[in-house]
Amino acid sequence: MDSVITQSFHVEGYRKGFDEGTRQGMIDGRKHRASHGAKLSTEVSFDYGFGITWKCLLQNNTDVKARKRLKALESPLGLILKFPHEEPQYENLQEDMEKVRAKFRLVCSLLNVPTDFSDYVKSGGISF
Amino acid sequence: MNDTLALLQKFNAHPDSRCWYVAWNPKGTLLASCGGDRTIRIWGREGDSWECKTVLQDGHQRTVRKVAWSPCGNYLASASFDAKTCIWKKKNDDFECLTVLEGHENEVKCVAWAPSGNLLATCSRDKSVWIWEVDEENEYECVSVVNSHTQDVKHVVWHPTQELLASCSYDNNVCVYKEEDDDWECRATLEGHTSTVWGLTFDPSGQRLASCSDDCTVKIWKECQPEGGQEGTDAAWKCVCTLSGFHGRTVYDIAWCPLTGALATACGDDGVRVFKEDETADPDQPAFSLSAHVPKAHTQDVNCIAWHPKEAGLLVSCSDNGEIAVWNYQSGV
Repeated sequence: MDSVITQSFHVEGYRKGFDEGTRQGMIDGRKHRASHGAKLSTEVSFDYGFGITWKCLLQNNTDVKARKRLKALESPLGLILKFPHEEPQYENLQEDMEKVRAKFRLVCSLLNVPTDFSDYVKSGGISF
Repeated sequence: MNDTLALLQKFNAHPDSRCWYVAWNPKGTLLASCGGDRTIRIWGREGDSWECKTVLQDGHQRTVRKVAWSPCGNYLASASFDAKTCIWKKKNDDFECLTVLEGHENEVKCVAWAPSGNLLATCSRDKSVWIWEVDEENEYECVSVVNSHTQDVKHVVWHPTQELLASCSYDNNVCVYKEEDDDWECRATLEGHTSTVWGLTFDPSGQRLASCSDDCTVKIWKECQPEGGQEGTDAAWKCVCTLSGFHGRTVYDIAWCPLTGALATACGDDGVRVFKEDETADPDQPAFSLSAHVPKAHTQDVNCIAWHPKEAGLLVSCSDNGEIAVWNYQSGV
């Protein structure tokens, strides 16, 4: 008789613990997602603003170097415009972000601009 | 084994620090070395011995990890932990710094010149590989930044005849890159090593690639045409041979002799080894045997090994103890 009662307390205890854990997990997960999403969009918008600014500065310049830099800018700007802002489950997110970051490093190298944007953007990917 | 590896000369190249790398110029008249003392030293032959001709000491603020000569022999590139790559121009017996390539976020681990002389590749602990183009006015411009590795990239090497690049990393993989529409992309990832891949070398024809690793093995990779080969499909690279049980510790460097086809390795067990290919083996399943071995070639880790470009059998190695050793390898066959 004792063991049946103990067993049912175990089951109920487990169920309540599981439900509480699920609830808390959803709250924590939402906070985590919001925070990382915000960091990522800060980075993406900074990159976009940076790219558009340089595009404006270079587009009336006809020399060969300026043409090259404009062409190099097209790639990351294009990638950012195609970004699925409404799709948090987009599976190529990390890969596309790496491509954008690599393209921007290339552009900064061509423009002779140092790439330390830590005052504006805290990037570095999502870590778990 | 009636093959021998005899010591010709040993000297202290970088006093009180590590000698990280040695490279012969294309004519084989000069040897460049670099080390933990932040210098690059150029050695020339005087009779039977090698003497220090020049010391380049103000180029870098940290360890110089690798040096590479341009195919014409007039330029030297140096890759440093200070995140910069310097390009030096040779002027008689001296070198002047022509330009500094910046952009990597942290330690540059390797620099390599393409056989055409128009392209340069660098790689870094920041996980990226950069390809740079040199124009007629000696201006260097980055043309691609590729992030195919997920960890520190240790080495880059160009194919001897095609515009193809290979890199290896702390992520245990080797990546192969080709240019597509003005952009360099990773076309193949060679998986198989179970730890950091430290070095790469192509065979004289460029058909095979050898890699060496912290897993104490050497792997030979060959490009195989895909079945029912569609035009434009990339060939796959397969591991056709693994040399295991020969090295007691990490294999830090590997060099395929362009003249004889012998394979030399630099090991963390202080030894230098030379492997010979078995001529009778099936080309798709090559076999190598240990031809010569000097167990205590140095008193510390051997970091680099390089075959002379013109003199068959002449080999140079360098070590954590700052020494350079010059060897003569002779095959009895």
